[in-house]
Amino acid sequence: MNDYSYDNQTVKGFILSSLFWGVVGILIGIWISIQMWNPSWNIPPYFTFGRLRVVHTNGLAFGLGLGAIFGIFYYITMRLTKRPLLFPRLARFHLYLFNVAIALAALSLLAGMNQSLEYAELEWPLDIGVVILWVIFAINILGTIIKRREEQMYISLWFIIASVVAVAVLYIVNNLSVPAGLFKSYSIYAGINSANVQWWYGHNAVGFVFTTPILAMFYYFLPKSTGLPLYSHRLSIIAFWSLVFAYLWTGAHHLVYTPLPDWIQTLAIVFSMFLIAPSWGSVVNGYYTVAADWSKMRTNYLTKFFIFGITFYGLQTVQGPTQALRVVSQLIHYTDWVPGHVHMGTMGWVTMIVAASMYYIIPKIYNTEIYSVRVANTHFYLVLIGQLIYSVTMWITGIQQGALWKAVNPDGTLKYTFVETLVRNYPFWKLRTIGGIIFAIGMVFFIYNILMTIRKGKSLSASVA
Amino acid sequence: MAGNIYSKPVLFTIVSAIVILIGTAVTMFIPMLTPQMHPRLENLKPFTPLQLAGRDIYQREGCNNCHTQTVRPLKTEVMRYGEYSKAGEFYYDRPFLWGSKRTGPDLARIGGKYPDAWHYRHFEDPRSLFPQSNMPSYGWLKERLIDPEEVRRHMDVLNLPYTEEEIENLRGKTEMDALIAYIQSIGTAVKRRPVVKKAVVREVELKNPLAGDPRAIARGRDIFMEHCAMCHGDDAKGDIGPSLVDDVFFYVEGDLPDDDYFEVINNGTFEGMVEEGRTAKGGMPPFGEELGKDEIWSVISYIRSLKEEGR
Amino acid sequence: MRMVEDFDDIEAFEAKETRDRLPIGWLILFWGLIIWGVIYFFLYTPQFGGWSQEKAYQESVNK
Repeated sequence: MNDYSYDNQTVKGFILSSLFWGVVGILIGIWISIQMWNPSWNIPPYFTFGRLRVVHTNGLAFGLGLGAIFGIFYYITMRLTKRPLLFPRLARFHLYLFNVAIALAALSLLAGMNQSLEYAELEWPLDIGVVILWVIFAINILGTIIKRREEQMYISLWFIIASVVAVAVLYIVNNLSVPAGLFKSYSIYAGINSANVQWWYGHNAVGFVFTTPILAMFYYFLPKSTGLPLYSHRLSIIAFWSLVFAYLWTGAHHLVYTPLPDWIQTLAIVFSMFLIAPSWGSVVNGYYTVAADWSKMRTNYLTKFFIFGITFYGLQTVQGPTQALRVVSQLIHYTDWVPGHVHMGTMGWVTMIVAASMYYIIPKIYNTEIYSVRVANTHFYLVLIGQLIYSVTMWITGIQQGALWKAVNPDGTLKYTFVETLVRNYPFWKLRTIGGIIFAIGMVFFIYNILMTIRKGKSLSASVA
Repeated sequence: MAGNIYSKPVLFTIVSAIVILIGTAVTMFIPMLTPQMHPRLENLKPFTPLQLAGRDIYQREGCNNCHTQTVRPLKTEVMRYGEYSKAGEFYYDRPFLWGSKRTGPDLARIGGKYPDAWHYRHFEDPRSLFPQSNMPSYGWLKERLIDPEEVRRHMDVLNLPYTEEEIENLRGKTEMDALIAYIQSIGTAVKRRPVVKKAVVREVELKNPLAGDPRAIARGRDIFMEHCAMCHGDDAKGDIGPSLVDDVFFYVEGDLPDDDYFEVINNGTFEGMVEEGRTAKGGMPPFGEELGKDEIWSVISYIRSLKEEGR
Repeated sequence: MRMVEDFDDIEAFEAKETRDRLPIGWLILFWGLIIWGVIYFFLYTPQFGGWSQEKAYQESVNK
């Protein structure tokens, strides 16, 4: 018996909050996917595509993503440092503030308060709120790590520290602006410089919200849930340092063929390609770890979440750098290929690993088993199918769009008007909506399973007491 | 191998921060301090109060979620949208609005491409011009008035020049007026470039080789309905654009020869364009990148046939 | 809520006998990408290789 307790309530609170915002974000995602092929689903002024799309991206990146990261990082950090959080009350306050901030963020975006910086749309009062949230989190996490009761820091803690530092720098620098009223501001950066700063942020926000934190979870929960030790410590060291070093050079691959100076674009392309190596360092490490006993894929229901998740991460990290190459960017940039790419990462990699981590944590907190492995398996196959439909249809229509835009007649005139290239997306966009709905149904199975596990755990602890 | 850094969290945090910041410094922070990141085109004008109010609405409605504002230096892209974007065009853009997805077309060269009336109709109901468009309708912007004092505050924050008269003139302007004023200003610092098919224009015959050809007239009718009727009306008697069956051309009585018709369709019109001593006001987009030589002659044959009928 | 917590033993997380291994295929990838990157950077930076996107555009138009 320990003389202290982990703060499981806060962890659970974040997990449930993130699931709630996840549902909101996914439903809005389905809504805007319908708007793409049926404009009558736009309800001005608040529910047009232009406003809802940012609620979708922010809701999922910050609501689902950050919520899960906060909760799961608190959980991992307590266990790897062998101590409770340094400031458990602050963590609880963090949870409340988080939910208030996300709710206000969603409302402000619907109201059209929008800085027009992708993934940094929130206006300045909310930016301040986000920074406060992050500082609270950083103090608690770093403080707990400093006061730890375990000499060595495990790999997951490296990724957590790097994420905490990087996100703070990225968010503050990109959001610097001059307020022009309570709900409006103008960026301090202008023109091509503004573009360069934004995509330095935009790409690395993806890196340090959707990559490094998820790797922290992967490196922790894969060995924990399978009981298989990590294949190579050395590989993870090299992968970590080369990943966090190379990531920050790559933002300008979003700006290939724009007026940004050529050398910045080229440097971004070079480092984007290099990122295949550290990314695949983690992929290889994951595969070799499970290779010690492949039967875990059958006997342990969580293993396939991790293996499929890291596989999509591997595909993502080859596809992404490839897109940075000029010859590929020419064809697919600005098309639906790109949302297809993003959603393989978010639906295939991030939510797979996050869901598996939650499946691991919730029963542990209640000292019980998962409510139903069958429901978990159903969840797995539904989100897998939903995501594949989404990504594959978008890749096809993205290549088609790019090709139609470039097509010329023998006499040198353009073959298609813009509208002609647009209407050919509609069948694929309809299929995408179906993929999204299947994915959402999978998530319903997931949430049901989590809630039933909590219920089971509660009645269990009640009967013990 | 492991080294001690993995048991010293403060040191680890500092080292990882430095490693992270190297790429940041080289690709983002240091370039920011050099003039190459702050270029300004000679004839780039700052936003007027009305244009800035429109730009605020463009941001508020999230137009950049579906429209880009940068033309890449790629042949077919320049053909489709116009001259590729120059670094010095965006000096006053805080922030830039290049976007990342073309669900709708690029808007970097939209300024002056169509007349205002076209935009009013298109915002009101995009499907009245493009039946298969998926753009939301923005007619509701006509119901909302601009607040001049708010715009003044915004101009002050951005340190942009304005006159009291310009602020006063905002009174009674709707959000739609402002948005269209902004749209019409985008990308106008760069001169509209001639259609890439220069070769075709040079070789062009002075007389329509397909004049009176019934098959060309039928083909011209189809092309007219697809590309021209939206502005000149199904009967070509004029709507957003002028009537093509009367005898007025560029606001002056009297017809123009075939090759001028060809040039106007091929290159579009722009303010200050002079044709046979007549000055255009602009507003017609070029069709030379979409329509081949025979197609343009066919349309001319069709228009001439309508005129014949009218006589 | 107070309950017994299992400690995480960091030693149990990592395999002993393979902890220092770097798969050869991965090493080839790692160094290969660095070499490719250096070459690409020199070829496609106007100050070194002479290539620029505007030049490439002009060539494609004049063709």
